[in-house]
Formats: sequence, structure tokens, C-alpha cells
Amino acid sequence: MNMDTTFVLPNSGHNRDDMSSKMGMWLFLFTELLLFGGLFLVYMIYRFMYHEDFLEASLELNVWMGTINTVVLLTSSMTVAMSITAMQKGNSQLSLRLIWVTIFAAGIFLVIKFFEWSAKFEHGLFPGMEHYGHLANGERLFYFLYFFMTGLHALHVIIGGIFLLYVIRAIQKQKIRKDKYMLLENSGLYWHLVDLIWIYLFPLFYLIN
Amino acid sequence: MNEYKPSTGQGHDVHIVSYREHASTFIALILLTVMTVTVSVFGADLYTLTVLTALAIASGKAIVVALYFMHLKYDLKIFRAMLWVVIVLFIVFAALTLADYMIRN
Repeated sequence: MNMDTTFVLPNSGHNRDDMSSKMGMWLFLFTELLLFGGLFLVYMIYRFMYHEDFLEASLELNVWMGTINTVVLLTSSMTVAMSITAMQKGNSQLSLRLIWVTIFAAGIFLVIKFFEWSAKFEHGLFPGMEHYGHLANGERLFYFLYFFMTGLHALHVIIGGIFLLYVIRAIQKQKIRKDKYMLLENSGLYWHLVDLIWIYLFPLFYLIN
Repeated sequence: MNEYKPSTGQGHDVHIVSYREHASTFIALILLTVMTVTVSVFGADLYTLTVLTALAIASGKAIVVALYFMHLKYDLKIFRAMLWVVIVLFIVFAALTLADYMIRN
């Protein structure tokens, strides 16, 4: 053992620990992954049991709207990743602009989602509606899971957007700077998680027909 | 025990991912998306293949997002190790649940 090791107190003007902060965020993201993981498991089982009904119901979904939303989310993932690069390089103005683009993309995603859901509502496919009641068991399960999982995902998009708005305020107040950007990085991690979940939702619901 | 680096608080040198690398990552992700949509829309007759391909491509996309956008490639190894634990955990749960459903009937 080397007894001469000098310990620099962490609170010598820098009383924070970025690595732990990031680890905390990752631990939280794991709970999110397992939350959606459980839902995917439910989907897998019912898809296995009601194979034909799932295919039938999936035809009703609009592949192109789903594809556009995938591209929108991927773009927003890139802009938020780039905003971290900009902040690390000390360009907070560019960083701010890129976060605004990300929030704008989140808005587009939700608007497209709104039109998609409205079309389903018009066809009475929401659980509890007229037409939904006459569907086969498997199709009902498909729509139930579709609304629940994309709904929960959309909720995450909204929360991610609010988180990013908070980050924008922190940048404006200089609470996030070139040498202190963990909040931005964590919000980025959250946003990428939202993207990750959509990466699986999209093929499983829209592309199975 | 190395000396603590309060300047970054990260405990290791921070690697800045370039704009160019993010842009290439984005293009790779778009190409994979085009692939998966093409396979689904135009390869519908190859049913089982399509589902597996779709899942494989989705996992490829997920890995790209995790490695590049989420910085796992350049970050401390511990984050990658933790993510593996969660993935293996989920696979075990999924396999056991599926086995249960298949064997019971």
C-alpha cells in the first residue's frame, strides 16, 4: 500500500462528481428499459398466441407516418448529441440552437402521433369504443398494447421535451457551461432512450404485416 | 488510487465526439431504417424472415445509438458493463417466460 497518496478533497471549489451523476442517470434509464421490456414481453406472448389477429390489426397502422416519425426522432437524437459536442467545445449558442431543434422535432413527432391517433379514434379503435368491442380478441389486444405503449412512449417524449426546456434555462443562466455540462449530457441520455424505445416500437407495431 | 481530477469530475479524459461522427452515425441509422421498411413493405411474403430481420436491424440501430450518440464507446467501461447486465437480465426473463407459455399447452 502506498501511504503517500495525496487525496485532493473533492470540494475544493468543485464539489460535484460528474461520473456519479451520469451513473445515476444510467441506473434510472435501466428502470425505464425494464418497464418497456416488460411491455415488450407481454407483446411477444400475445403475438405468439394471437398470431393472425396481430397481423390483421397491424394492417390498419400507417407505415409512412411511422417511418416519418422514426426519421424525426433520429434527427432529434443527432441534434441533441451535437449540442453536447458544441457545449464541450464552448459554443453555447450553437448548443442552445441545437436543443431548440430537438424540441421542435419532439413537437413534430407529437403532432404526427396526434393525427395517427385521431384516425384510430374515428374508426372507433380505442379500447372501450364501439368498433373495438366487435373485434377479435387478438386484435383488441393489439390495439390495447398499441395505445398503451405508444402512449407511454409519447409521455416520455413530452417529459424529455420539458427536461430539455429546463436545460435551455440552465444554459441561459450559465449553470451549464463548457466545464459543467452533466445536466445537458443526462438530458441527452434520456432523449436517446426515448429514441431507442421507438426503434423497437416501430417495427413491432407498424412493420409486421 | 490515482489522484482525483476535480477539473472535470469525470475521473478520465473526456473524448469529444465530432459533429462529423454524429452526422455519419445519423446517416447509418437512416440507411438501416430504409432497409427495415423496404424488407417489410416489399418482402412481405418472406414472413418469418421479415420479423427476425426487423428485430436484428432494430438491435443494430439500438447498438449504434448506444455506442455513438450515448457515448458508450468512449465512456468508462463500467457503463457498458452495467448495460450488458440489464440486457442479459431481460433476455433471461424473456426466455423463461416464453418457455413457460410454450411448455404449458
